Amino acid sequence: MNFSPVWQSLIAIILMVVIAYGSRVLGLLIMARVPLGPRVRRFIDAMSSSVLIAVITPIIVHGDGGVRIAAIAAGTVAIILRSPLVSIALGMFCAAGWRWLFTI
Amino acid sequence: MMLPLAVFTIAFGLAFGVAAVHQGLAGWEAMLMSLFVFAAPSQFAALEMWHPPLPLLALAAVTLAIHTRHMLMSAALYPWLQSLPRSQQFAMVILLTDSNWAMALKEYQRGERNLGILLGGGIALWGAWVAGTAIGLAFGGGIAQPERFGLDVIMLCFLLMIVVGGNPRAAMALPWLAAAASALMAYWWLPPYLHVMVGAIIGGMVAVLLPERWFGKSTV
Repeated sequence: MNFSPVWQSLIAIILMVVIAYGSRVLGLLIMARVPLGPRVRRFIDAMSSSVLIAVITPIIVHGDGGVRIAAIAAGTVAIILRSPLVSIALGMFCAAGWRWLFTI
Repeated sequence: MMLPLAVFTIAFGLAFGVAAVHQGLAGWEAMLMSLFVFAAPSQFAALEMWHPPLPLLALAAVTLAIHTRHMLMSAALYPWLQSLPRSQQFAMVILLTDSNWAMALKEYQRGERNLGILLGGGIALWGAWVAGTAIGLAFGGGIAQPERFGLDVIMLCFLLMIVVGGNPRAAMALPWLAAAASALMAYWWLPPYLHVMVGAIIGGMVAVLLPERWFGKSTV
């Protein structure tokens, strides 16, 4: 495995493209043959959100105060206001504010 | 209905571009991703893992776990696409994303049979996403201390928003809690990046083990 960085990136992106498009097509192919049962659907549905939870949990736990307060703010807004952009903007604002107050 | 979504998508693309610059991606890498992968959650998740040497296997596994959902989505569109020849069916789902899928499915249930809304919506969102990424890349590079402006938390907030904002159901609390706890333990004690797969599988398994009536009727 001695690829140059450029090749590594290209391979990584091609992998992502193949998987992203492949899963879209696979849904059609599977449905053409056998419909998925409710249990399988539930597993896949929960897995695809759990994978994102798994990505962000260590970032929050090992992040600084700014990261944590951003996560709390963004998560709360996302649940209550259900406005994606406000959620991200407030998260950034909180992180920036925290660091402005508590660093240097 | 389409226009506000496209404006949102430009803003998300911008956020991705800025986050990508901050994460050390070259401009062409971020552009290629937005042009061809065209899936915000997996692109943001990939940013998190983008430290050379790239963990290709982990990257593939994470993308796969995120995208199995798209499999369900295109499966839900199957009755609509059934009458088309196979090659056109495949072409129709190239630009399938969460937002245009949800919109198209709503129209379909309302009796709409014109596939233009799926294809046109996809093209509009794709253009907005690519344009947003380009703007973000151009503008994000000029910022010296991204942390001071909170730019480093864009990715985190985006992923968090996707998870809890998309479809907050009380029934998902347990699976998500299990996913978070198991991912954290795997992060501490297992080889790098395995925590993502551990969390995904544990979360899915807990959801299957819970009583079915907790979940009610799901659209996916």
